[in-house]
Amino acid sequence: MNYHPLPQPEEIPVREREDAMGAYLMMFASIGAGLPLPIINLIAAIIYFFVNKKKSRFVHFHALQSLLSQLPTSLINAGGVFWAVRIFFFHWEFSDAFKGYLIMAAAANLIYFIFSIIAAVQARKGRMYYLIFFGRISYEYAYRVREESTEKAQNLPPK
Amino acid sequence: MTFDIKRQETFSRGELILRTLFGWLYIVIPHTFILLFLAIWGAILSFISWWVVLFTARYPQSFFEYQVKLLRWQWRLNAVTYNLCDGYPPFGLDSELEGITFDVEYPETLSRGTLLLRLFFGFFYILIPHGFILYFRMLWSFILMFLAWWAVLFTGEYPASWHEFNVGTFRWATRVNLYWSFMTDEYPPFSGKP
Repeated sequence: MNYHPLPQPEEIPVREREDAMGAYLMMFASIGAGLPLPIINLIAAIIYFFVNKKKSRFVHFHALQSLLSQLPTSLINAGGVFWAVRIFFFHWEFSDAFKGYLIMAAAANLIYFIFSIIAAVQARKGRMYYLIFFGRISYEYAYRVREESTEKAQNLPPK
Repeated sequence: MTFDIKRQETFSRGELILRTLFGWLYIVIPHTFILLFLAIWGAILSFISWWVVLFTARYPQSFFEYQVKLLRWQWRLNAVTYNLCDGYPPFGLDSELEGITFDVEYPETLSRGTLLLRLFFGFFYILIPHGFILYFRMLWSFILMFLAWWAVLFTGEYPASWHEFNVGTFRWATRVNLYWSFMTDEYPPFSGKP
């Protein structure tokens, strides 16, 4: 497989670095929007990815990595919200299992937060920073050279 | 900042009456519906930008340009809604309406000290002094707009000094908004002049 060459930090304009950094900061979208729902962060990350992916491969990579790395945390948070709603409105038991889930969710969010900030800082410096598992996938999608289609053209000029 | 709404030589009386009776339906509702979602995105970008400015002293340029485009669209809508110009405001962040100029120079660096000052004391040194004067100026502007409505209806002309005053009011309010939104470190003057 062929890959497009990776730009070096000094070759990446400041604007692109800022755009790449912005992708990781979409985790604060729900606070900015005033709606403390986990889904808002995910929606913001999706919008940011589709709006910015064509700007450059560097931005594409970081936007995709941010989006993919946010998925597990969003799912965990959504599960927590669902469980909490059941407890408060449908009188489910505030069990030890829920407490354990909350601790696990807090730990997951903290890990995601720390690594996202590190990735944002690295993106701002113009560096490729690979998160475990998601870094490889994002690199494949952003930098793999796609072969031209070999299908025969259907529309042809008049003879 | 450049903000101007060019006064037309003549205003259409038909459009004036149509806007007054049905403007809320065919102008305000469609634009406001879309602008609501764009404004939410703008609020998210603004919140993120605050932290970026705090740590890097730089407003992300893409985010800044989005905010300017959003403001430009809002002013296209306001200019038509307040009868300062005729026509239908075009949709789109990159669209323009003839006669309306709005541009903000991108600041390469912003002061972090001023950013924090705005956060803790902005209410006292920005909102109170400017808000107090703008409140009365806005009241007078609305009176002039009401009177201008009748002037356009009977003469087809918007009195030049009234137009200039009303545009000046909005220019002043926009400068305050830009300073409050940390898009510029230049303290807004107590004037609506260009």
